[in-house]
Amino acid sequence: MLDNTPKKDLKYVGKDVERIDVVEKLTGQALYTADLEFAGMLHGKVLRSPHAKARIKKIDVSKAKKLVGVHAVLTGNDLDYRVGLYLVDKYILARDTIRHFGEAVAAVAAETPAIAQQALDLIEIEYEVLTPFLDPKQVFDKKAPLVHPDLGSYSYVEAVFTPVPGTNIANHTKLRKGNVEKGFKEADYVIEREYTNPNVQHVPMETHIAVGKWDTGDRITIHTSAQSPFTVRNLFAHSFKIPHCNIRVITPYLGGGFGGKAGIHLEPLCCCLSKLSGGRPVRIQATREEEFSLLPCRSGLIYNIKTGVKKNGKIVAQKMTMYWDAGAYADYAVNVTRASGFSASGPYEIENAWVDAYTVYTNKPFGTAYRGFGHVEFSWGMERHMNYVADTLGIDPLEFRKINALRPGSKTMTGEEVVTNTGSVTKCMDAVAKSINYGKLTAAELAREKKTGMKIGKSVVALQKAPAMPPFTGTVMILKLNEDGSVTGSHSLTDYGMGTYTSLAQMIADVLRWPIERIRLPIENDTDRDPYDWQTVASKGLLLSGNAAILAAKDLLDKCYDVAAQALRAQKCDLDHDAEKVFVRHHPKSHVTYKQMAVGYAYPNGNAICGPIIGIGRYIAQGLTNLDKETGQGNPALDWTFGAHGLIVEVCEKTGAFNIIKVASAYDIGQVINEGSVRGQAIGGMIQGLGTAMCEGYIYNDKGQLLNPSFTDNKIPTSLDIPEEIDCIAIETPQIDGPFGARGVGEHSMIAVCGALGNAIEKATGAVLTHMPIRQENVWKALQSRSGKKATAKATKPAKAVKAEKPAKSVKAEKPAKATKPAGRAKK
Amino acid sequence: MLQNFSYQAPETLKDLYALLKKSNGKATILAGGTDLLVNMHNNWISPESLIDIKKIPDLKGITFNPKTGLSIGATTVCIDLINNKDVKKHYPLLAEAAHNIGSPQLRNRATIAGNLCTASPCADMGCSLLALGASVELGSADGVRVIPLKDFFTGPKKTQIKKHEVLLRIIVPVEMAGAKFGMRKLKRIKGHDIAVASVAMARTAKVMRIGVGSAAPTPVVTADLAASTTLEKAVAAAEKVICPIDDVRAGAEYRRFMVKEFVGQIYPELF
Repeated sequence: MLDNTPKKDLKYVGKDVERIDVVEKLTGQALYTADLEFAGMLHGKVLRSPHAKARIKKIDVSKAKKLVGVHAVLTGNDLDYRVGLYLVDKYILARDTIRHFGEAVAAVAAETPAIAQQALDLIEIEYEVLTPFLDPKQVFDKKAPLVHPDLGSYSYVEAVFTPVPGTNIANHTKLRKGNVEKGFKEADYVIEREYTNPNVQHVPMETHIAVGKWDTGDRITIHTSAQSPFTVRNLFAHSFKIPHCNIRVITPYLGGGFGGKAGIHLEPLCCCLSKLSGGRPVRIQATREEEFSLLPCRSGLIYNIKTGVKKNGKIVAQKMTMYWDAGAYADYAVNVTRASGFSASGPYEIENAWVDAYTVYTNKPFGTAYRGFGHVEFSWGMERHMNYVADTLGIDPLEFRKINALRPGSKTMTGEEVVTNTGSVTKCMDAVAKSINYGKLTAAELAREKKTGMKIGKSVVALQKAPAMPPFTGTVMILKLNEDGSVTGSHSLTDYGMGTYTSLAQMIADVLRWPIERIRLPIENDTDRDPYDWQTVASKGLLLSGNAAILAAKDLLDKCYDVAAQALRAQKCDLDHDAEKVFVRHHPKSHVTYKQMAVGYAYPNGNAICGPIIGIGRYIAQGLTNLDKETGQGNPALDWTFGAHGLIVEVCEKTGAFNIIKVASAYDIGQVINEGSVRGQAIGGMIQGLGTAMCEGYIYNDKGQLLNPSFTDNKIPTSLDIPEEIDCIAIETPQIDGPFGARGVGEHSMIAVCGALGNAIEKATGAVLTHMPIRQENVWKALQSRSGKKATAKATKPAKAVKAEKPAKSVKAEKPAKATKPAGRAKK
Repeated sequence: MLQNFSYQAPETLKDLYALLKKSNGKATILAGGTDLLVNMHNNWISPESLIDIKKIPDLKGITFNPKTGLSIGATTVCIDLINNKDVKKHYPLLAEAAHNIGSPQLRNRATIAGNLCTASPCADMGCSLLALGASVELGSADGVRVIPLKDFFTGPKKTQIKKHEVLLRIIVPVEMAGAKFGMRKLKRIKGHDIAVASVAMARTAKVMRIGVGSAAPTPVVTADLAASTTLEKAVAAAEKVICPIDDVRAGAEYRRFMVKEFVGQIYPELF
């Protein structure tokens, strides 16, 4: 909600306030799950499949069980429990069938990690290796082997998802807006191309880790590095049919997640091993290698975009087909498909839109949420495609984006109307264009080209994302007044590095008008202690929890006023407050301090009133709907955060080597709450996006085995790989229902920056790239197929449309490309 | 898999030779361990015993002699080479090559000799030492023999070291002191990475040599070329000794292209 405190009275909101968890993190005092020791704790380890698809013919654990120091050995035969977020399709340990390389086949718990490892080595397995299904585009091949023959018997969230039994389709999201066929007929050009992304690993600093304890009477305690303690509890309760109140999930300090820790992962296995060990706590800590295939990754995507466009640059129709490579289990991928499906056009208005988004099961490590939730992947294709279409029309790509940008009065793909306070993607584009001197090379840049012999190219891309969440997502903040007039908060949004807790503390301090030092928000969360929150994902935390925090602070003050009104014999309307007390506005000496009322106000004779004070704020998303399953129409968006990147690259035309000179990023975040946190999110996500763009990605052999399951051959950017210059810009169009007008920006910095790199490289050299990542070798290859003609770094608007000349040549590029005029006209 | 192995750390060459003879090929030499321990961790190898050579004084240190050239003891780590005054003065190519290895942590630990004995095609020291015409001295109870480095590598992860032998030191000939040089390494990121292709070139008044990494089953080197060799011929000579493959790091075609490109980039620096 847009608080009515005048900006000049805000002491913390909008300022560069120091992070509230900075001291314990910098001094090493913050305790992460791996730091915790429990009496009698055992160490669990997991045996992984070397095959992508296999039948387990025989599994013999007898030798492992006999090893001294081993307390529990489990195989799939022992655990008839399935887990799943939206589609319950995964056994805790593979039963009979192996569905991906790295899948958990057996697990042991032993007194030391070394004994556990030894026990794993003693397990004998006989596999019958089967032909894996690896290419999601073969999903309509009736002869394709099925990853889940029993798909029809799985339970799933029926209001939202559409699995197709008898196929490898875990979900089919449809969106139908306007009349696409009619739109294509009206178009002057119809331009189609396909774009691809591999699986990518999140690489949080802290790998997955959990400690589970299963006590007599089915009482469960789990300490885990998870983003969403209540989701762990809920899914655990459903899988094992245990009452929620019997399960306690505690999340200590978290060392990053990026979506990879949003669901439930190692927790059930730890608890099952604990149960078999007579209730001793069992810890499993994933190795870095296990992060790559035992734990989930980001889904791959093949994205086909067919755009109908008028000569004047207006897109009139767009057909979008997404093949999401979900891997062996649906996990979050079905929802990534849904959320990307309704957002697939990027921040552009498409009058007539058609989306078919398929979540395809394959025999690969499975996909889950990853910062951007599908938007990084599809924006790569969409932002490359926008340039392709603009080049075909002979319109400057930035101009082309502005022509089609969502603006007040536009309808999003789901039919939601954009209003002034939705934010402005055009302002973001203008800001970054200015920052990188878009459209020309400066004298310094020309001199640099001359000196290095490299070509400089610039690009501007745009992005948008709304939280992908159920329409009924809600949260609670409880503020407990302490004896000394300080306050301790209780809630279940986790802070795994974003800095949201500091932002919440700033808001609470400004509503209460107290110094921030008197606001404590403990970083650890505990489902037994703290109230419900759905999950910490989707860039929804600041908005929903921010509103809850404001409401809780107001409720706390209201209760303080109640006490003061009674104690001072005053009407509440005559009261005011400051940092120390509530007082009568026209007789300030007549007051009650927070200290006096914190645990119940007592009169001099000992009579007492009211009891200890707590403030409660509950907030739930307003006015959202499920999407119609046939048309995709509805209102899914809590808020849209728009943004843009401007990127300058220099490319060696001979070798394909490139250096990123500058990235400027702008986001319309409504209101900056904490400058440092915004900057951190903006830079961190942008670099993570560049990692995806430049070097990361899984490589498999034809048997579905991962060939680069570690940092040796799965490189991530280092400090040497960051752009030479970085500019971050905040645009502030207030969100009416956002706290102090703010919106989330956790994921957005990662979106579309890949397309910006691809577009800038093409601008500099004419190299056409349609696959991520863009390795130096890929640029070189694309340069080889340039067919002699290349774009120049001059960004002046071409005087005439180049017709379909360029696309026709692009056919020779890596991926198939089509550019045809509508029926009746000759193809060029 | 957890491995059982015995560990011994002899303090004299005599003891080392005796141990090697006794173990009859079942022991593996441990120096820096930056490859060995990773290989053991991944179960790619499982030696019965490890013989740590770091306590043997004879294997330590770098010396330069104006008559015989540079001697690099087997336990010399990268950072020692980088910081050595004689190396900086006479063989700066080696300092640059050593700096290309891994990260600071690895350079503090990894030995130059180990980099050669691992015999990976992408060994960063391989192509530079080859370009400098280095030899290796191998010792055993039977005596000492010196072989040219270009004959040392026999295949991926394979060398001429016999089962009872140990690499004692690397010798870089004095004729190459003060050679003009240049080096390039193709990586996938700007941070530390394994060489996807690498080229080192050295030239004196008499000779030019091109060492190439990650473009053949072993690090390879051209024949001794005349100091006045043209660029075209230098490129052809490099192309002749390589036979790159496709793998997850790069395609053969690109490796071949980059080797030629690197030769072209370094060539002008040699004159």
